[in-house]
Amino acid sequence: MNVARHVAWRSALRSRAYATAAYVPPASLEGLQRARAPPPKPKPESPTFYTGRANYYDQLLALETATKHTRTALQELQLLPLPKFARENLPPLRPVWKNKVDLAELMDANLTTSRYRRFLSQLNQLNEYRRLAEIAGHVQLAERIQHVLDVFERDNKEAILARGKRKPVKFDEFGRSYTIGRRKESTARVWVIAAQPSPEDEPVASSSVSSEAAASSAPVSSTPAMGISGFTQGPLSLAPAPVKVPTTNILVNNIPLAEYFPHVSDRERIVRPFRVAGLIGAFNVFALVRGGGSTGQSGAVCLGIAKALAAHVPDSEPLLRKAKLLKRDPRMVERKKTGRAKARKAYTWVKR
Amino acid sequence: MSLAAAFRVGRSASHPGTSPAVTSAIAIQSRGYAAPAKPAKKVASKFRPNANNEKAKRAARDPGLFRPMPANNLTDPVFQSDQRAALQLPIFRPETLTPEKANTAMAFPSEGSRALKAYGLPVNVLVDYMLLAKPCSVVRKVTIDALDSLDKAASTSSSQTRLVFTGKSGCGKSYLLLQAVQYAVQKEWITMYIPRAINLVNSSTSYVYDARTQTYGQPAFAQQLLKRFADVNEALIKGIKVQGSYPFEERTIGSTSTLTELINVGLEFSHHAPTVLSMLLTELAEQTKFPVLLAIDDFQALYNMSFYRDPFYKQVKAYHLSFPRTLLEFASGKQAFKRGAVLGALSTQNTTFRAPLELIEALGLEPAQPSGPYVPREKELVEYAKGLKNFAVPDQLTVDEAASIFDVWQSAKALHVSRGDEMFLSKFTESGGNAREFVQKALLQTVAM
Repeated sequence: MNVARHVAWRSALRSRAYATAAYVPPASLEGLQRARAPPPKPKPESPTFYTGRANYYDQLLALETATKHTRTALQELQLLPLPKFARENLPPLRPVWKNKVDLAELMDANLTTSRYRRFLSQLNQLNEYRRLAEIAGHVQLAERIQHVLDVFERDNKEAILARGKRKPVKFDEFGRSYTIGRRKESTARVWVIAAQPSPEDEPVASSSVSSEAAASSAPVSSTPAMGISGFTQGPLSLAPAPVKVPTTNILVNNIPLAEYFPHVSDRERIVRPFRVAGLIGAFNVFALVRGGGSTGQSGAVCLGIAKALAAHVPDSEPLLRKAKLLKRDPRMVERKKTGRAKARKAYTWVKR
Repeated sequence: MSLAAAFRVGRSASHPGTSPAVTSAIAIQSRGYAAPAKPAKKVASKFRPNANNEKAKRAARDPGLFRPMPANNLTDPVFQSDQRAALQLPIFRPETLTPEKANTAMAFPSEGSRALKAYGLPVNVLVDYMLLAKPCSVVRKVTIDALDSLDKAASTSSSQTRLVFTGKSGCGKSYLLLQAVQYAVQKEWITMYIPRAINLVNSSTSYVYDARTQTYGQPAFAQQLLKRFADVNEALIKGIKVQGSYPFEERTIGSTSTLTELINVGLEFSHHAPTVLSMLLTELAEQTKFPVLLAIDDFQALYNMSFYRDPFYKQVKAYHLSFPRTLLEFASGKQAFKRGAVLGALSTQNTTFRAPLELIEALGLEPAQPSGPYVPREKELVEYAKGLKNFAVPDQLTVDEAASIFDVWQSAKALHVSRGDEMFLSKFTESGGNAREFVQKALLQTVAM
């Protein structure tokens, strides 16, 4: 410590004027201009002013008040306290609250982790009461609570909750589904549309053959279509109406299936989803496939078709899932490693 | 005498005072190495090449004919002869071919007509019949249409009915032609059917240059074809008299002779067979007693370069071969039967003999090769292809036709797949309605259950 400074401080102490002020006669004070009185301090709006973190505590207190009122309401409705079995069987809560930074920006307050956690616990409590009200059927109450909680939820809540869930397959105005399938290095884009019944084509009358048949004396062996033998009357004696069987047409890269895939195994792989779901002839397929070889491309188209069928006919989804047709085959070509000839094949071991 | 002894003798000869025996030996010049060469004794060599691998030599298998083994010979239990049920199908007859009978499978009659057995079959059809054990086919709507046009052609010249069956690979052109031939035979037409025209141009038979016609004749093929023709049309040509006069070295065929005698000349003398064949066709063109059907499968082979080589090792064009030239003349209308038709069927199986641009353009098909104005087109081929009508065979089978085919194969117990709607429809979908893909790949090659 600087000795000179110390000595100066000591001398200042000695010369300070203390509480006993010098006597001033009142007459001298008459013309004295005093300093303006300090403006009166406004009363703080909320009692949380003196906490120093008014915004935060305001919000917290508001939330606590809402929670208290909700609790009272639920107790009146005899939803609280809930028996154990009911508590266990409630649907799970999946809240998506704002993160610390966003919440701090919203409240315009500086948030530490402990304060943020405290705030969240309050939000969760209120969320639980909201769930109770919703389950019990008190829609209005639940809505009001939700209204309060909406402020503190993230904007992209739906997107976050939908993560990991398969996006639903969309249909366009013609009823076509668009799905994507992948296998190894191939990607297939598959459009599937329900097969429409074609207009009945009239039978072509052939003149000469039928006229020759009529002219010849030999008995015509063709018999008219008959019902079940032994029935002369009633509906069973009539011939069955000819059924127009719809067929599935598959085009891959605008080429018919049989032309694009010469191997029988590839064709069977593509038709398999229809066989498993029992929907052969019900749909037509147009696929654009790129990359890989024949096995990869046929596997990709198969996956695309399976997804499309699951979308068109939801009842077939468990069947396709059981047959493992809705699973993207994760097997890919393993990379070659150093020191080995191929991925697994090793060079010939030499003793010396 | 050893060489050393001979040398000694020789040396001593120059010296006087040698023994007289030695002198006489010298006079004869009996040195071993100077002895006159004796002709080698001919001994038969005991060396036999390929003595160890002597196999029993088999006769060349003629795949053109179909000979099923009778069921009585199949005694081994693996054949399950006691459970054998022959395929029961209605017989293919002209009277029964009505539009209602479309999509029905019909068997070709085995006892009646001999066209199938005599002329042979295209290879793919033959393979099918080896599995089915009975020649049959499904009557389709196109069959009815084709047979209709054949009926209309019975009274008109063949230059007006020159049809070529075209369509995608495997859509049923050969089968359709076979049905047309069968129909014609049963309707008492004179029929000449060439199931594999590729054998005419792929240098598989002998060929001989004929200076008179300046074309190459194929005697072996011509002789065989004459025999088959005589087999099938025996009854019809019995009464037909020859209208021209054909002098041969051995005998003359004049106006008193019948066609059978003309054919016999070709059968007896193979070197006359090509000439007889062209004469026969000329005669058939003149007669009006019966309509004539000339049916050629692998039709596009006649418009290609053949595999034969001339003495300068240049490829011989197909229309420089005598019989293909005749066929082309009938196909182009230069020669025509007074009553009858010419039917051809393109084939896509052999890629060495593809339909050339001239034929494709004449038939109005879409060319797969460059076809701009700078691509040369052979004038002769354009002429030979003029006037050919395209008879399109549909690419896809209808469900009913495919169902009939499925039924036939199942009834013949030739398939290992289950017999049901689901199996049928899935195989139909896999093949996309193509007939060959449906039978050969989807039904016969599948392992899916």
